[in-house]
Amino acid sequence: MAAGVVTVLQIYGMAGLAVAAVFLAWGIDRVDQNARGAFVFRPLLIPGVALLWPLVLWRWGALERGRDPWAGRYRPPRRLQDWLGIGLAAAIPVILFGALLIRQEGPLERPAELLEPPPAAEGEADR
Amino acid sequence: MSVLYTPVQWNRNKFLYDGVLLAGVVAYILVFLQVAPLFVDATRPVDGAILRMRAFGTCAFLMLTLILCIGPLARLDRRFLPLLYNRRHFGVLTCVVAATHALQVLGWYYAFSPTPRLEALLSANTSFGQVLGFPFEVFGIFALLVLTLMAVTSHDFWLSFLTAPVWKALHLLVYPAYAAVVAHMALGYLQDAKNPAFALLAGGGALTVAGLHLAARRRDRAARGAADWVTVGRPAEIADGRARIVSLGGDERVAVFRYDGRLSAVSNACAHQNGPLGEGRIVDGCITCPWHGFQYRPADGCSPAPFTERIPTYRLKLDGDTVLVHRTANPPGTPVEPLAIP
Repeated sequence: MAAGVVTVLQIYGMAGLAVAAVFLAWGIDRVDQNARGAFVFRPLLIPGVALLWPLVLWRWGALERGRDPWAGRYRPPRRLQDWLGIGLAAAIPVILFGALLIRQEGPLERPAELLEPPPAAEGEADR
Repeated sequence: MSVLYTPVQWNRNKFLYDGVLLAGVVAYILVFLQVAPLFVDATRPVDGAILRMRAFGTCAFLMLTLILCIGPLARLDRRFLPLLYNRRHFGVLTCVVAATHALQVLGWYYAFSPTPRLEALLSANTSFGQVLGFPFEVFGIFALLVLTLMAVTSHDFWLSFLTAPVWKALHLLVYPAYAAVVAHMALGYLQDAKNPAFALLAGGGALTVAGLHLAARRRDRAARGAADWVTVGRPAEIADGRARIVSLGGDERVAVFRYDGRLSAVSNACAHQNGPLGEGRIVDGCITCPWHGFQYRPADGCSPAPFTERIPTYRLKLDGDTVLVHRTANPPGTPVEPLAIP
């Protein structure tokens, strides 16, 4: 199972490197005018493209087709950030105190029992 | 403005910021390695390698805690804004420190594994059906993956290419990542720790993050209205050549600039990298972004020729001596007659 996961990750990464080679050598000039003539920064983008290559292909396609609604560019999801902040505020005490409760030396630990030795089998007591 | 991308747009503030960051990390690691052995249970001595992985792990947690505090602090008090501007370098360094922690773990616990180290890590504990003894490593892996994702998409290019909503949504993963880091520590080290200092530090830091977010949200909600026209305030409350930032509810913010006895409103997000235009000022008659100096004319949101960037504009009106701004943005570059201050 673990070996399979690692293999899938390796294949994903190799596909990402292939996409990075094509995008950074050719595609980036087509979709971002600030990248035309700028080459030194491109190696910095390789890990990002390799990691996010499906998203890169989707955005590349959207920009090539001109499907880039202007208003959305100015509306980062701040409301979601608020809700995530609230979720974090609720989750942190639950995680921390919950974890402290289940500690082996915590308040929910069962008291230790004094174990009796098993009764001796018949015949063994005579020996 | 069409400034070509460079690896890093260095300036004096960034050098200072990064210098302080690096010095802080080095000092923390050195102090931890000296002080932590003093508090270790004498009956259970801790190896130097374990101390190092704890030093880097706690350092990454504290750095992530500070990163998450900077946002709400800057919303609550403008004096924290300089910390916000270079936060991406803070994030990249945090990723490096967290990755060092992970490498220390792989290099110590799985040094002599017959299978490759990553496989050994993923297969060492698969007790996903129980809470006590749950493989807490998966929380750490998830958090490190998110930190890496954020670090590798921190260049200017990514915000422009992915657009602010997509880029921001990706970077909001830092919230579940932080919860994962807390779970990683709570189900890992805290299960066995005898010294309460670390539990208090972790709990205090995590609860501070949560409290600051609640406080900033409460303040933002109090400032918002629901009508089509949103109150900006009196013109005299805006300094000449500066702006007031107004939240329109949801995800939009508008910057209302005062200049030459007039007022104009534009999107608070710079077209270059969504920098906070309302924290900039008017230079040579143009709104100037505090992040990279991109400029826009206040009346139509267009960069001066030969540049081609444009941002949305908004309508303004006076109600008595109160300025109001309309919620609906005009398309980028739409001219709007500036509001004369009576």
